Amino acid sequence: MSTRLLLIASTLALWVGFGVAPDAQEDRSARAQASCPQAPVQFHPCALEKAKTFTPPRTPDGKPDFQGFWRGQPAATENIEEHPKTDDDDGGRSLIVDPADGRIPYQPWALQQVRDNRAHYVEPNAACFPSGVPRSMYVPTQIEIRQNASGVVILFERAHTSRLIPTDGRAHPDSRIKLWQGDSRGRWEGNTLVIDVTNQNGRAWFDQAGHFYTEAAHMVERLTLVDPNTIHYQVTIDDPAAFTKPWTMAFPLRRNRQPGFALLEEACHEGERSTDRLLGLGFKIYPGVTGPPNR
Amino acid sequence: MRKQLAIVLGVVIVAGGTAATQQQGRSTPDLQGIWQAMNTAAWDIQDHSGQRFPGLPARFAVPAGAGVVDGNEIPYQPSAREQKAENFRNRVTADPEASCYLPGIPRITYMPFPFQIVQFSDRIVILYEYLHATREIYMDGSPHSELALDSWMGDSRGRWEGNTLVVDVTSFNDRTWFDRAGNFHSDQLHVVERYTRDGADQMMYEATIDDPKVFTRPWKMRMPLYRRAEPNAQILEFECYAYARDTAEAGSR
Repeated sequence: MSTRLLLIASTLALWVGFGVAPDAQEDRSARAQASCPQAPVQFHPCALEKAKTFTPPRTPDGKPDFQGFWRGQPAATENIEEHPKTDDDDGGRSLIVDPADGRIPYQPWALQQVRDNRAHYVEPNAACFPSGVPRSMYVPTQIEIRQNASGVVILFERAHTSRLIPTDGRAHPDSRIKLWQGDSRGRWEGNTLVIDVTNQNGRAWFDQAGHFYTEAAHMVERLTLVDPNTIHYQVTIDDPAAFTKPWTMAFPLRRNRQPGFALLEEACHEGERSTDRLLGLGFKIYPGVTGPPNR
Repeated sequence: MRKQLAIVLGVVIVAGGTAATQQQGRSTPDLQGIWQAMNTAAWDIQDHSGQRFPGLPARFAVPAGAGVVDGNEIPYQPSAREQKAENFRNRVTADPEASCYLPGIPRITYMPFPFQIVQFSDRIVILYEYLHATREIYMDGSPHSELALDSWMGDSRGRWEGNTLVVDVTSFNDRTWFDRAGNFHSDQLHVVERYTRDGADQMMYEATIDDPKVFTRPWKMRMPLYRRAEPNAQILEFECYAYARDTAEAGSR
């Protein structure tokens, strides 16, 4: 009996140890079976076209059923713009589908701020701070979506963060309340879940490359099932303090179909050792910026 | 280590088997909403006087409070009682809360922050304001996960007993405490929580604590939880370790 349990235990230990491998396989097989290509700039128009004819499964109260486990675009957490493979990065394509050049339309001061961010500040996710919105949707982690009649809950394995998205028409709280994850309010437009995100504290980044937004940022996300195992995810970012115009990212969320899958606890801060070293090297904790510095 | 793992797995498998039968579906009680304890258990789960807290200004002193432990007695084994006393002496730095670590179950329930219960067909999710902690309570009769052997918030499997939500929680590490007074447990902790609505805006919370390495017998704590009935109540954020970083940064300026 106890030998058998030990066998089970060591099998499980192997499972845990190689936890990343099944995910990667899952990603590859999902990609192979998906009818729209993975690259955002091709995926975006293809998925929007498919959304016109796809009839999604429904929850008991008649809403499109997004429930289950999903995965975004992991390389984007390195840099949401196109970036090469280097010693530090796996490399990847831009998530930005508008503007067409795939670049964030920064105001001049904000472009300098990106450089300052990289040079002077601890990447907020390294310190286990919440990833914020939209980064939560593409950090390399598992995403769980659950729905009931009053709203949508999204749970992220990374640093055990979450989003609660009421769909009952309540308004955002006063703008004096600022949040790492922002405040999310959802509504249904046909088969699309539209989420309005405000009340940002501006301390989360888009990625490790220092791309940022301010507390004035207003995000509108659109989630649409385009086949049983693919969500078209789109987010438009409007931040008049940092950008010259609103811009849009789009990418697929692919379903994790591993039977019996469940999120595990990722106690990020409890085991985190890199921030003290970075502070020792002179990096600072990013306080957020609201506009051009007075220089 | 291997033997310990085998024992834990054995417990997990046995406990899982008993949870297989349960009711499901539309008739389950509604526990949804934002709840919060209103007591001083976060400071000390036992009866205690008002007193200074070392290192804090007087306005942050410990408020007096009646305990939440049945009979007010925690049945520590003799060596564990000494450990508790030592924890109390070192509480300013030894309390895992001082490091902003996940506080475990049941402690997070009676910290001075609200939490929101959201019910789904096969699980209940609890979103805590403190440290953006989350919890998934599986209601599908599934056994405890073999993958969560050493966790801060444990592995939760729930069932309905009449109007009561009963949650069996195992797979804890030995690094969380019950309060700021040094009450503690080992990695053999087994918690059974009972949530019972007994009013529109009130429910009774009961936690049975068993830990054969620390206590001589199981014991219980019990307290009412109250609905945060303000129309604008919502779960916000208390990012303890971010504030710790900000405090250090402010200190260096």
